[in-house]
Amino acid sequence: MSGPDLHDYVRRAEAAGELVVQPRMGMASPRRMSAGLRAVAAALARTVGTITLDSYTRVGDQAGARAALAKGWDINGFPIVVHGVELTSRVAASVGGAIPVQVRHGSADPRAIFAHCAPAGLLASEGGPVSYCLPYGRTPLTESVAAWREASARFAQDCRAEGGRAHLETFGGCLMGQLCPPSLLVALSVLEALFFVQHGLRSVSLSLTQQNNEDQDIEALAALRTLAAELLPADVDWHVVLYAYMGMYPATEAGALRMLDAGARLAVLGGAQRLIVKTVAEAHRIPTVAENIQALERAARTAAAVPRRALPSGESEVLIEARALVEATLGLSTDIGTALISAFAAGLLDVPYCVHQDNQGRTQAGIDASGRLRWTRTGNLPLPRPRTRHRQVTAAELLTLLRFGRDHCDQTCDQTCDQIGDQTGVPPWRVAVVGSGPRGIAVLERVVARLAEAPACRPVELYLIDAVEVGAGRIWRTDQPGWFLMNTVAGEVTMFSGPADDGGARAGAGPTLAQWWQADDPHCPGPNGYAPRSVYGRYLRFVTGTLARCLPEGVTLHQLRATVIGLTGNGHTRTLRLADGTELVAEAVVLATGHPVTELADDQRPLAEFATGRTDLRYLRGDSASDIPLTELSPDWTVGILGLGLSYYDVITALTVGRGGEFTEVDGELRYRPCGREPRLVAGSRSGVPMLARGDNQKAPGFRYRPALFTHDRIGALRARGRLDFDRDVAPWLLAEVRLVYYGTELRARFGADAEELFRTEASTASGVPDIERLARRFGVGDLPPLRLDALARPFSGRCFAGRAEFDAALCALLRADIAEARRGNVAGPLKAALDTIRDTRAVLRRAIDFAGLTPASHRHDFLARFVPIASALSAGPPRLRVRQTLALIESGVLRLIGPDARFTVDRQANRFRVSSARVAGASVPLDAVVDARVPVPDVRRDPAPLTRALYTRGRWCSYVNRGAGERFDTGGVAVTPDSFHPINAAGNPDPAVFVLGIPTEHTRWFTQVGSGRPGPWGEFTQDADTIAAAVLAGVESRAELEVSRR
Amino acid sequence: MVQRGTSEAKVLLSTVSSDSHSWNLVYFTMLLTEHGYGVDCLGTCVPDELLLRAARAQRPDVIVISTINGHGSLDGARLVRKLRADPRTADIPAVIGGKLGIDGADESGVRRLREAGFTAVYHEVPPSVLLDELPGIIESGRRGLAAAQLLDDGASEGAELVGVPR
Repeated sequence: MSGPDLHDYVRRAEAAGELVVQPRMGMASPRRMSAGLRAVAAALARTVGTITLDSYTRVGDQAGARAALAKGWDINGFPIVVHGVELTSRVAASVGGAIPVQVRHGSADPRAIFAHCAPAGLLASEGGPVSYCLPYGRTPLTESVAAWREASARFAQDCRAEGGRAHLETFGGCLMGQLCPPSLLVALSVLEALFFVQHGLRSVSLSLTQQNNEDQDIEALAALRTLAAELLPADVDWHVVLYAYMGMYPATEAGALRMLDAGARLAVLGGAQRLIVKTVAEAHRIPTVAENIQALERAARTAAAVPRRALPSGESEVLIEARALVEATLGLSTDIGTALISAFAAGLLDVPYCVHQDNQGRTQAGIDASGRLRWTRTGNLPLPRPRTRHRQVTAAELLTLLRFGRDHCDQTCDQTCDQIGDQTGVPPWRVAVVGSGPRGIAVLERVVARLAEAPACRPVELYLIDAVEVGAGRIWRTDQPGWFLMNTVAGEVTMFSGPADDGGARAGAGPTLAQWWQADDPHCPGPNGYAPRSVYGRYLRFVTGTLARCLPEGVTLHQLRATVIGLTGNGHTRTLRLADGTELVAEAVVLATGHPVTELADDQRPLAEFATGRTDLRYLRGDSASDIPLTELSPDWTVGILGLGLSYYDVITALTVGRGGEFTEVDGELRYRPCGREPRLVAGSRSGVPMLARGDNQKAPGFRYRPALFTHDRIGALRARGRLDFDRDVAPWLLAEVRLVYYGTELRARFGADAEELFRTEASTASGVPDIERLARRFGVGDLPPLRLDALARPFSGRCFAGRAEFDAALCALLRADIAEARRGNVAGPLKAALDTIRDTRAVLRRAIDFAGLTPASHRHDFLARFVPIASALSAGPPRLRVRQTLALIESGVLRLIGPDARFTVDRQANRFRVSSARVAGASVPLDAVVDARVPVPDVRRDPAPLTRALYTRGRWCSYVNRGAGERFDTGGVAVTPDSFHPINAAGNPDPAVFVLGIPTEHTRWFTQVGSGRPGPWGEFTQDADTIAAAVLAGVESRAELEVSRR
Repeated sequence: MVQRGTSEAKVLLSTVSSDSHSWNLVYFTMLLTEHGYGVDCLGTCVPDELLLRAARAQRPDVIVISTINGHGSLDGARLVRKLRADPRTADIPAVIGGKLGIDGADESGVRRLREAGFTAVYHEVPPSVLLDELPGIIESGRRGLAAAQLLDDGASEGAELVGVPR
């Protein structure tokens, strides 16, 4: 099915006064390509979709494209020939005919590409025999012209055969992208349009690129329209398409937006009907779909706001020159292709700075002070005013010319600052960040980055406050022992919102934890290693120090070690009261106070009370392991450990390695050599099994899993329909995604990446939740053991054991099997790859859960009580080494796991604690101490910290209640607004000067205990920080804004 | 030490087979010429075979690959392996720079290029760094070459110990 005729669509939009906007967008994966097209179709703008092809396909290297795909490498566009007509037509049809879709490619020989377009329902493409030859490759011009003749004629026929009309757009109005005077661009755009028409096209568009001077660009668009009207036959439909600036793009967000706005305005003023946009990411990387959508919508909005006025016409220098070039060329032959070849051979057409062998290279261009492009050497061009004497530009001058447009846009903000001048006498804008863990630092980083991008018109004072260690926070404090590790590999951790570049570390650009660690420590195990928490603390201090060093002018940062005990005030300021009695006034306050130490729960209190006041018994409550006073535990005691999660691993490490014991590798097995100072350890939990290992990391730092079934779109659509039931609406999709990876990984191992891709594509075409197991049988991998999350998380469910020996044997076998699975890795091993999917799709899950996505009952029972424990047991696990250590400790006799359904009780007769498992015969052990290895669940109602208590009791903070038809679930999370995370007070009103981020809001949102950003595109961690940074600075007018408002 | 600006060093400038970008090549041609190098630029979308042929024929002092289309870490690794596999070009220092991966900085891509045989890899690094380092790269290439020739005359044993800078 082909979509609407592109030209008719553009004309209809024009009649409605709308500018058509179009992105450049191409992904290798058909699924992602389809999703991208759907997003373009759904954008709030009159759009045309684009399928941009990859570089391999462009040069006809299908084998190269196939090889890259087979190895799982990403390539820079959609390989239409390798994917073939059938798959391509499905991608083309994914927009349901809502918008036209154009194929963009850049090929000097588009025959194979065009042959795949029309049959797939894609009737619009672009290029040209000159414009896709000279600047883009080494194909001789004669070959390119011949190939384009044949391809254009066949494309026109093929499209007719499909019942539609072929459309081709010239690329001649762009050529090298920049530094080509517009007369040559106009001439080539017109000549290529005439070429297309000569070979059977009856619908064309003529392109021109935005350059550096609006008046000159408007003249050029007028010249293009004038010549097209004069020279194109009356039965040819045509329109004009403008490319947003194609040269070196502005690097700052403000600069990039300014450039795009200028492009949208130019399109309207110059009479172009269609605009190809660029995004804020352009200078840095291939933009994301979201960035493209933002650009499309912004361009459409900007264009709509430009007042329409009569289009200019008449003679201009551009028109006079362009007409001379076109006429000289057409005079060489009646066959346009032949004329073009002859014109280049004679230098009548000659593109400046073009290295192609068929280009004479005798011309040169420059930019004058107003931004107009000027010929500085005209070579043999038949122009009225030849110029030949200008000296050759130097490399440095060339760079200046290439950067002209970029620098103009990027520097405009700075210039307006200078014009505004003196800031003295303006009161400062004060921002206080309470809590300097990763969340607080992330906000600070974005605040500083934003201030560097858009300098403020008044002084800004930043306060970073922490009660334990400023710049690192309590959990990551730098003085904790080195055996407490992070739970994320170092390569996946960064606290800079952009990658390091050659500009030195600063807000917005700096090293990841792995990069910093490697530079700092020769023993660093590399990006797949797990850093000690103290090392991460030092990295956080480095980040904070970097921010302090790179503050823009007028911005100060004060780091305070202090406990905040109160927050008061309304109106424009808030007052923070510190424990030492001082007060701090700020315009904005960010509360990122992190892990709470809540009041004990009902099942913990009897244990704690039993030990109170006694020297021979201890109950140590759950907390960050480095804050549990484990040194109080005597070596001759028997110590119970309650819980077998991540804290359990910390506690046993501290009580063994931390006491002087050693693990050694003997014949590939880990052995524990006790030191005699470790107590006897008995651990237990409900499942009886310690949290299983995460698969060895095989994912690159920038890796992002792209779900096929459990997608943002799907969950977004479900949520739009109403409240969700987790078991009915969410879990089946998540489980299907997990199984998709499970069988897909096995398929890839057995039959190659194409098989997996096909499997995934097929699974994603089902209308409901696909039966992955059935599909797997069809694909020949039905022999894998079925994947059941509950059975994996509770492997001993329902089993009883005749005694300790039988249980230990079963447990050790299970741990060994898990170690083997983990060694296969989180990409190559089907099981761990599948379980990693739960981790990789947390953001999608959040979309279903956050801000009462689920009904109250489902939220409480299905999700929090049943699903979350299983999911974390399976996907949040420690590195494999930790499981090997547990195995070695069991074998050495230092550690015993008691069995499933462990109970920790008070034995008043024996005056001891006791741990027992009813499922293992004889499993009952008296204890001298119980260490609660469960991190307290955040609950604003039970948090005795003075600040929280004050905010809660005065009604500034409330517990978030998930309300539904007749039911309510009082979650214990701080209630905040979904957009800017303002706390909602007891009266139901948000506090616009206060922001709450991270763990205090757990249950309002889900899985807030993320302690770092990730390299690559922003995840929620960085996005949330930036959202707050933007809101925090909303009251600070940027100098650029002030300039605009003064106009 | 080869002095910047007085070098007679020959640079073979090129890009990878899938890369059509040319501004970088135009710029580097100007820049290196201005700094006294003799530059032969092979243009855009250079097939591996063309570069190998040119390298064999010209025996340049250094091969500079500039690429920004994001395929540098894939195409570059394949190219340099071919260069290293041919004894006639195995000893020529080769450097690659530009934007080497699709998603910005990519550690593993840089490592892959070094392991595949590039003397130096410049991922999103300003050209001044290349200018600073090029004389040293050329000089060590010449020393490696001389050592290899010496060994060829006499003892070929232990040639790999002397090595060619990678």
